Amino acid sequence: MELSAVDLTKRYGSKTAVNRLNATLTNGVYGLLGANGAGKTTFMRLLCTVQRPTSGKIVLDGKSIWKLGERYRDVLGYLPQHFGYYPDFTALDFLLYVAALKGLDNRKAKKVSSELLEEVGLSGESRCKIKTFSGGMKQRLGIAQAMLNDPYILILDEPTAGLDPKERVRFRNLISAFSKDRIVILSTHIVSDIEFIAERIMMMKAGEIIHFGRPHEITSRISGCVWECSVPTSRAEQYTVSLNISNLRNEENGRTVLRVIADQPPVAGAVKVQPNLEDLFLYYFKEEEQ
Amino acid sequence: MKQLIRLELRKIFSKRLTQLDLAMVLLLSAFLAFSTYQNKYASDGAGNEGTGRTAVEIDKAVAARYSGILTDEKVQQMISEIVPKSGENGLNAIYIYRNTIQSAVSARFSDIYGNWNGLRVSDVFGNETIKIGYVDGWLSTSQNLVKILTIFSFFIIMMIAPVFCGEYSGVDNIILSTRYGRTKCAMAKVIAGVLAALITSIVVLAVNLLMAFAFYGSEGLDCSILFAQLTYIEGSIPFNITCGTLLAYQAILAVTGALGVTGITLIFSAACKNQMIAFVVSAAVYGLPLFFPAAETSALFRLAVLLPAYHAQFVSLMSVGQMSGIFLYAVWAVPAALTFIVAGSIFSRKVFAKHQVS
Ligand SMILES: Nc1ncnc2c1ncn2[C@@H]1O[C@H](COP(=O)(O)OP(=O)(O)O)[C@@H](O)[C@H]1O
Ligand SMILES: [Mg+2]
Repeated sequence: MELSAVDLTKRYGSKTAVNRLNATLTNGVYGLLGANGAGKTTFMRLLCTVQRPTSGKIVLDGKSIWKLGERYRDVLGYLPQHFGYYPDFTALDFLLYVAALKGLDNRKAKKVSSELLEEVGLSGESRCKIKTFSGGMKQRLGIAQAMLNDPYILILDEPTAGLDPKERVRFRNLISAFSKDRIVILSTHIVSDIEFIAERIMMMKAGEIIHFGRPHEITSRISGCVWECSVPTSRAEQYTVSLNISNLRNEENGRTVLRVIADQPPVAGAVKVQPNLEDLFLYYFKEEEQ
Repeated sequence: MKQLIRLELRKIFSKRLTQLDLAMVLLLSAFLAFSTYQNKYASDGAGNEGTGRTAVEIDKAVAARYSGILTDEKVQQMISEIVPKSGENGLNAIYIYRNTIQSAVSARFSDIYGNWNGLRVSDVFGNETIKIGYVDGWLSTSQNLVKILTIFSFFIIMMIAPVFCGEYSGVDNIILSTRYGRTKCAMAKVIAGVLAALITSIVVLAVNLLMAFAFYGSEGLDCSILFAQLTYIEGSIPFNITCGTLLAYQAILAVTGALGVTGITLIFSAACKNQMIAFVVSAAVYGLPLFFPAAETSALFRLAVLLPAYHAQFVSLMSVGQMSGIFLYAVWAVPAALTFIVAGSIFSRKVFAKHQVS
């Protein structure tokens, strides 16, 4: 199946959150990477039919997802970036509720809910009220609800927010195992979240996709722009102000190795190195943060 | 669908605020019923007097002496046996209160000195057959119910207000991305809202009627509401119905009122951004008609009393002319309530289906 956005645009008043975006997605895991405010959440909301585009459209195999309606949402799973919950519901109640909304029959809903609670590590808390949950537990419950209907299209908005390192690993494994023959889209502003599991990266900036490709393809765009150089540790501080530094490593001999993103060699003796995703991200978003 | 409705109901009833409010309404019912009972006073004019239980017993004993169809002979008997003659403390005899039967007969058949005022039963009641007896317990229960049901209708608004807009604070993201989020979900919400209103009104009614039954027994349910003590005359219902019929109408109007206010609240629950606004707007739309004066005889009034707020108020609605046959005009409350529910259902589902997250 093929999910395409065609000239997709969403404006909030005069603010354009998604700007004439075009993209075609087939089976695979996609990492939607962009700084805060880039338009990731808005794009995902449009993909999930919880918001209507101002113009343009999204089609699944050539048919508008709004026209497909229930048939589209039947194959869709969505973890919103921020979602409410019912404080006095238990985790299991909540999953049963969403399962009912997704049209699962009772028996199936119970079975799938407890399996998913197990998979996200909440089986021990299935009968606890959600109001007693930590942020990470709510997030895992959110991931579980998205997967209840075994969706063909799974859209996760900042899924690793609030997860600790161990939970992140568990999440990555869960998604890797799940993603076969499906379209999975993960958004994040943390590169390491998707560096290893995303087969394709969509880099988004100001409502547009500025790069779309396999990780090594899109990092090659800035090859020649990443440098490593060794400077005295005492002066490293100074460099962080003037240079775009993606990494910084202190060595024992009183020197510090800087990883610098720059079009020209930043200091004499700097050597070119292979760029990675993090470098790419910094290359495009550095000026925005300042 | 059943599962969805069940979980929507659980959502409504698992809210602390709902539970607390329902408990408050029930406590208030108990308090009103109990204090009314405790404050009953009666004396039989022969040295027995008391409050609370004693008063009810005296009232019942006096009523038992004259119970049955009201006749001119009974009126004479009551005037001579229980109506006080001389003014105590300068009070005219007619204003002296001893017990409910005495008060009822004094109000209609005695002059200010406690003598017969010359009116016959047919002068006061036309050719209605008036069955008299101990009606005070059930009539005061009915009066208390008006207060309780008015407060209860605001409880319903509070309970129903979050049904739709409670989702707008985030869960809508999830709901609207699911298969039935824009369709069956809204239907389940409407049905759960209606069921919640029905269930709670039945509980409130049952608790109140059971308490009244425990305090006053079933006596008087078959007696006319027209031969009641002085305090019930003003604002009472001018039809010769029994206490039982009165309470049956009141129970039906409690339910129709609950349904009507549910319909109104569903509309604003879907249309408002948050629960507080939905509550305030619904409460205003529900309650404001009570403050607009309309002449009781005008056609507008006949329509206005069909608004849900008047179902709980109930006396005005019950006082609009009698229809041909055995029914009062008040039965129109049933189609009126259904209209509100249908309107609420259609409108709220439309709005929710079009809703976009923000
Ligand atoms: N409901 C809204 N109303 C107005 N502006 C919004 C709304 N949602 C998002 N925006 C704006 O659209 C832009 C994109 O936001 P968003 O899609 O949330 O970005 P991201 O998820 O990448 O951080 C931001 O500038 C944000 O301020
Ligand atoms: Mg976002």
